Amino acid sequence: MKKIVLALASTVSVVVLLFGYHTSTSGPEAVGTPPAAVSGGTDSGSSAASTGGSAKASGSTSTVTGSVAQTQWGPVQVELTMDGSTIEGVSVVQYPNGNGRDQQINSYALPILIKETISAQSAQIDMVSGATVTSVGYQQSLQSALDQA
Amino acid sequence: MTDTWRAVEQVMGLPISVAMRGRHAGSPTGVATWREVVAELQMVDRIFSAYRPDSWVSRHNAGELLGTPAVVAQVLALADRACRESDGAFDVRRDGVLDLDGVVKGWAVERASRLLRYLADTDFCLSGGGDMTCWTADPDGRPWQVGIEHPRGPQRLVARVPVRRGAVATSGTAYRGAHIVDARTGLPPTGVASVTVVGEDLTWVDIDATAAFAHGDRAAAWLRTRPGRSGLVVWDDGSVEAWQSDAA
Repeated sequence: MKKIVLALASTVSVVVLLFGYHTSTSGPEAVGTPPAAVSGGTDSGSSAASTGGSAKASGSTSTVTGSVAQTQWGPVQVELTMDGSTIEGVSVVQYPNGNGRDQQINSYALPILIKETISAQSAQIDMVSGATVTSVGYQQSLQSALDQA
Repeated sequence: MTDTWRAVEQVMGLPISVAMRGRHAGSPTGVATWREVVAELQMVDRIFSAYRPDSWVSRHNAGELLGTPAVVAQVLALADRACRESDGAFDVRRDGVLDLDGVVKGWAVERASRLLRYLADTDFCLSGGGDMTCWTADPDGRPWQVGIEHPRGPQRLVARVPVRRGAVATSGTAYRGAHIVDARTGLPPTGVASVTVVGEDLTWVDIDATAAFAHGDRAAAWLRTRPGRSGLVVWDDGSVEAWQSDAA
């Protein structure tokens, strides 16, 4: 993502964001280690990356581009829109793997078709998804067998 | 598998099954959290069950003038959105009767499952009657292997889906007969035997599976318009179509 970054008199303080990057597969209450933004920046080739980020301004609003944070999902970079010292907006300018959000979502595995229908045991299945099992139907279900395993 | 701790409880007329691996699989904290999950689902059932005369839904349908608790408003908003986005195939109101079952189950299981995410270093899979949400503490950890039942022979599997963090729901008629109808025609859908949807959040994955099934022979075409999902459709003739939509 190309960005033209104007060096600005350093009146805009740099915000290091503890960036809770929520991928499609990581909900807001994720208990995994929160990815901490890395100050000092990891230059990934983006023109915006620099130690402590960079900023540009027009009128009273300005944008601050944070340095690239290495998260457990890959590099993440955010841009803040500032009005004076108030954060007006946050946008993500770099996702993991460039287009990581898409890749995360597309990483939902396609179902692997089983050529010859087989039993759950021999397929090493953890859980079973099927047309809604009522409490009555459950007795005959594969899930019932797994729950008793 | 031997490292998996399992439990099952009957709530909302459904078997709620949990599988856990890792630090809190079967630990006192893990078991206590599972009990909280069950308690939360029982609370949801007391509000939304059409089988309980004292539930909010039953009293509403009996004509009582009730306030709308925030949690009910949230589910009603989901239902309205589902109706809109399914072009009316999915509708929780029929002949003036409100039936939120099609929305509540996935939403409730997804919501209750969030409690389990607080268990450190613990993977879980929480299923409500065959629709489930999975989680691995390590986003690159060992995936849960979810078997997809064959709609014509529920003792067999038609596919297997490896899921780390995500949800799987299947709609069909294997156990309950023709309980899903296209809200626009009032008729059971034709051409489709079951629909499985895989995606981020069980709330919408479950709604989409039901809505797609209601679309009948247009199930796969409609699902491809739903971003960020994959899955499969088993057609009436036994053929299987796997699909994947564009990224969200």
